[in-house]
Amino acid sequence: MTSFLNDLISTFPAFTRAAWMTLQITGISLALALVIGLIFALMKVSGLRSLGIIYNGYVGIIRGTPLIVQIMWLYFGITQIVVLSAFWAGTIALAIHSGAYIAEIFRGCIQSVDRGQMEAAESLGMKRGLAMRRIILPQAIKRAIPPMGNQFIIGLKDSSLVAFIGITEIFSLSMDNAAVTFKQLEFYTIAGLYYLAMVALFTYLLSRFENRLDTAK
Amino acid sequence: MINVSNLHKYFGKLHVLKGVDLEVQPQEVVVMIGASGSGKSTLLRCLNFLEMKDEGEISFNGQAIDPKTTPLNKVRENVGMVFQHFNLFPHMTVLENVIEAPVHVKRTPRAEAIEQGRQLLEKVGLADKGDVYPEKLSGGQKQRVAIARALAMEPSVMLFDEPTSALDPELVGEVLEVMKGLAADGMTMVVVTHEMGFAREVADRVVFLDNGMIAEQGDPETFFSNPQHPKARQFLSRVL
Repeated sequence: MTSFLNDLISTFPAFTRAAWMTLQITGISLALALVIGLIFALMKVSGLRSLGIIYNGYVGIIRGTPLIVQIMWLYFGITQIVVLSAFWAGTIALAIHSGAYIAEIFRGCIQSVDRGQMEAAESLGMKRGLAMRRIILPQAIKRAIPPMGNQFIIGLKDSSLVAFIGITEIFSLSMDNAAVTFKQLEFYTIAGLYYLAMVALFTYLLSRFENRLDTAK
Repeated sequence: MINVSNLHKYFGKLHVLKGVDLEVQPQEVVVMIGASGSGKSTLLRCLNFLEMKDEGEISFNGQAIDPKTTPLNKVRENVGMVFQHFNLFPHMTVLENVIEAPVHVKRTPRAEAIEQGRQLLEKVGLADKGDVYPEKLSGGQKQRVAIARALAMEPSVMLFDEPTSALDPELVGEVLEVMKGLAADGMTMVVVTHEMGFAREVADRVVFLDNGMIAEQGDPETFFSNPQHPKARQFLSRVL
């Protein structure tokens, strides 16, 4: 146990840097994913068939293939055409991946808003775009927050897969340490603790945010 | 003011409206009655293009509306609608509900819209509820807010789609009172309702729909005391 604590303490500075990397990749990829998800969800509910087909293709491919394949494909495939650092290849892959799931969340929440809301807005002379922005989306986004929190947690943990394209984040750092010291169990436990701490922090922030939304109304 | 001629509407294979002709004069209160499924709500919803007609012509002030070429939002600005289930915007306060369209559609300055909104809320007897969210209101209060919201666009005609059907019986009266007040002010109104008392008292004309067609229409006194069409007689004997 003391040796485990020693391992934990001695690697603390390195893991803090790695955790920062994990947070950066997660934060940037999820921010991009929100934008991607919203745009695709609006395409799907636009009622235009061609946009619906694009949506189905995107979500179908992303949900139908493993994330690790998507990361590898983007990293080795796209870098043949454009020079992309491992950081950006990984972040973009994660964004495209989470974007599909977030699009599904937004689509579901938009479609769950009662049809009467759009009818009421239109009957007041609002155009569909204005009605979407002022009436439908605020209600849909509020409903999207709990499943979105869930998706963000998944996104945070999924970021561990960029270890395989050579980014030093929590998981790759623990792999390296495990390989060098042969203390596999210890270092994967340490990795788990860091993820657990980050998820716990995020869950806490999310619940405070949800409470504030509830009392704001 | 509104002129409908030979209106047909299908839902898939179901022929819901089978050639309806209807004329509504300015300041007239037309009450449409009929059994459920007779097409009265569909007819009403066609008037502001929430349902699209399949055949026939709808014109406002002599101008035929072609949904393909006319911006429907412009038409709807002049046609207020009140729904059975209120459809208030739950994420906005009562006052925000009322000023939403004036501010964002008509571009009325916000202060002016608020002023006008408060007057409308007073008119429907809810002056003290402006800052409350709709979920805190009773059904009757919600429907009165919905009426104020529609009036805020200063429409030239108001459509009511079974405005009291979702209300507890003791709340029906307060909504009908507001509607009576509107009629007395000279608002042009087309009302789909099951409230025969309201039809008798307020309507200038009662339109009885049966099976997608206007079976009979006339002034309420004549219609209620001496209905001609057998289906109208049958209907009245069931509801009165």
